[in-house]
Amino acid sequence: MPTNKDSLIRLENVKKYYVLGDGAHYEALTGINLVINQGEFVAIMGPSGSGKSTLMHILGALDTPTSGKYFLHGEDVGSLTDDQLAEIRNREIGFVFQSFNLLPRTTVFKNVERPMLYANIPWPERQKRVANALKLVELEEKADNLSNHISGGQIQRVAIARALVMNPSLILADEPTGNLDTKTSHAIMDFFKKLNNEGKTIIVITHEDDIAHFAKRRIRLVDGKIVRDTNRS
Amino acid sequence: MDYQNLFIQAVQSLRKNILRTSLTMLGIVIGISAVILIVSLGQGAVQFITNELSSFGTNYFQINPGSNQISSIAGGRKTLTLQDAEAIRRNPLLTNVETVIPFASTSVPVSANRIDKSLLAYGMTSDASKMLNVDMIYGQFLTDEDNLTSSKVAVIGADAAKDFFGEDTNPVGQTIRIDNKPFRIIGVAKSGSGFFGGFFNNAVYIPLNVALNQIIGQDAGLQEIDVAVKNTDLMNQTIADTKTLLRQRHHIREGNDDDFIIQSFQDALTTVQTITSLLTLVVAAISGISLVVGGVGVMNIMLVTVTERTREIGLLKSIGAKKKDILSQFLMESVVITLAGGIIGITIGIGGAFLISLVAPIPFVISVPAIIIAVGVAIFVGIAFGIYPARRAANLTPIEALRYE
Repeated sequence: MPTNKDSLIRLENVKKYYVLGDGAHYEALTGINLVINQGEFVAIMGPSGSGKSTLMHILGALDTPTSGKYFLHGEDVGSLTDDQLAEIRNREIGFVFQSFNLLPRTTVFKNVERPMLYANIPWPERQKRVANALKLVELEEKADNLSNHISGGQIQRVAIARALVMNPSLILADEPTGNLDTKTSHAIMDFFKKLNNEGKTIIVITHEDDIAHFAKRRIRLVDGKIVRDTNRS
Repeated sequence: MDYQNLFIQAVQSLRKNILRTSLTMLGIVIGISAVILIVSLGQGAVQFITNELSSFGTNYFQINPGSNQISSIAGGRKTLTLQDAEAIRRNPLLTNVETVIPFASTSVPVSANRIDKSLLAYGMTSDASKMLNVDMIYGQFLTDEDNLTSSKVAVIGADAAKDFFGEDTNPVGQTIRIDNKPFRIIGVAKSGSGFFGGFFNNAVYIPLNVALNQIIGQDAGLQEIDVAVKNTDLMNQTIADTKTLLRQRHHIREGNDDDFIIQSFQDALTTVQTITSLLTLVVAAISGISLVVGGVGVMNIMLVTVTERTREIGLLKSIGAKKKDILSQFLMESVVITLAGGIIGITIGIGGAFLISLVAPIPFVISVPAIIIAVGVAIFVGIAFGIYPARRAANLTPIEALRYE
């Protein structure tokens, strides 16, 4: 297993248990060891219940492991406070979800701008960055549209623009094409590929093989364990 | 996030559901407008009463028969006589006394121009015109000579004159029958006071001696003696001396209660102001309860909003919102609701007070402290009732919020 210093993400024997209603434990992750380096394009695959969503939450600093360690940029995420985790999510990670990506009835511009408000970035800079990000996803002309007046593919592109606007080291996409038709799905994946070619680290969680094929490295999870990790680069 | 962005976000968020926002605001609007309206009316009433009473001059004190306020108003006692008034006027020790104005009144049948009415007849001296601030529309007021000679002359109030003789008719010189006795009308008087004018203008005025000797009867006594003093600083001493004098004249022993009441206009004014202010405060406090009800409404809606927007909260947390960001976002929304409700309520309250001032004889008063307090209370209600829903939103964990269906 590679453990070079450049590794963006390092998971050491990460386990996640949930306490169920009757007091029993449900083991979502049963011991994950994983290193992801800067610039990788990774697809995490697996059937539902395999723990891939739990893994995504931990990778995204939305949740912390029950045991084991998660280092992001060498920092032990498990030891951070809620506010520090929020800052990590704000600066280091750009999220693209399957659904409910955008604030309802809010303009595209304001959606993309929002992470920068939490980072207290001043107005002229915010305006510039929103414009650049929207240009990258080819939606400059939709800036003033309301989020409920654009198509599903456009929503995902706005979400990508928002994920990029804080210039994070990691883009984390959870079933980003789950609600899209094949053609639009592939167009979205092409965006990720383009971003990866420009040096962004991208992790996509999916259960679709054709989506996973866009990634260079594919990790398969079953029952909370990595069962296969293939790299075709 | 700075307050400006928070405020803009809150306004935008509230505009998405304008009907719900308006209905939530309604409770606050009603509460604040009721408080503002009542405080404005209360202060207007105090100002009105102050103006009315001040128009008589604060250098007066009044003496009424009876041993307490109620019997003096009811007029049940007949302990005050014209001789008492004369004694006060003539007493060499009461150097501060300027004028003594005794008067008596009774309800009598009055007829003129073939019209019959029942009116109040006041027995007065010439000095009363000064105190009542009367304006003579026609003719002149009662003179000292009318009183000394017991002339059967009458001054009639402006409204009464209109009823008997019609508008713009000069009845001076005509005969009016008061208690079936003919009187010559020598003048028509109008009191400028809106409060007292109401009944003073609808009455007839005759010389006091005529009233006492020929209509009311000597033993009925006076209704009131008003005394004007030269120096108001010595008012209390003069009142005390007058009291001593009257107790001697009425043969009241040490330890027994007075059979008359002395009250300065200033005292009366203070009493009325105190009562009105207290009433205003009580009613305003009761209306304030509706603000609590409005606040509970805000809390209820904010709790619904937080639940409805759980996914949104999850999204915001995933893009970097901290607890305090979510907390201040929802708190700002509830404060914007209550503050906007407060401002609308203040506008309605002031507007209502203005409209009432147009139809009622209450002056239009804007109470600046009440407005400042109302704004403060509105913000306070927003924070007090918004903090719990906002904390619930802030304390949601990101995955809990993202998973919410």
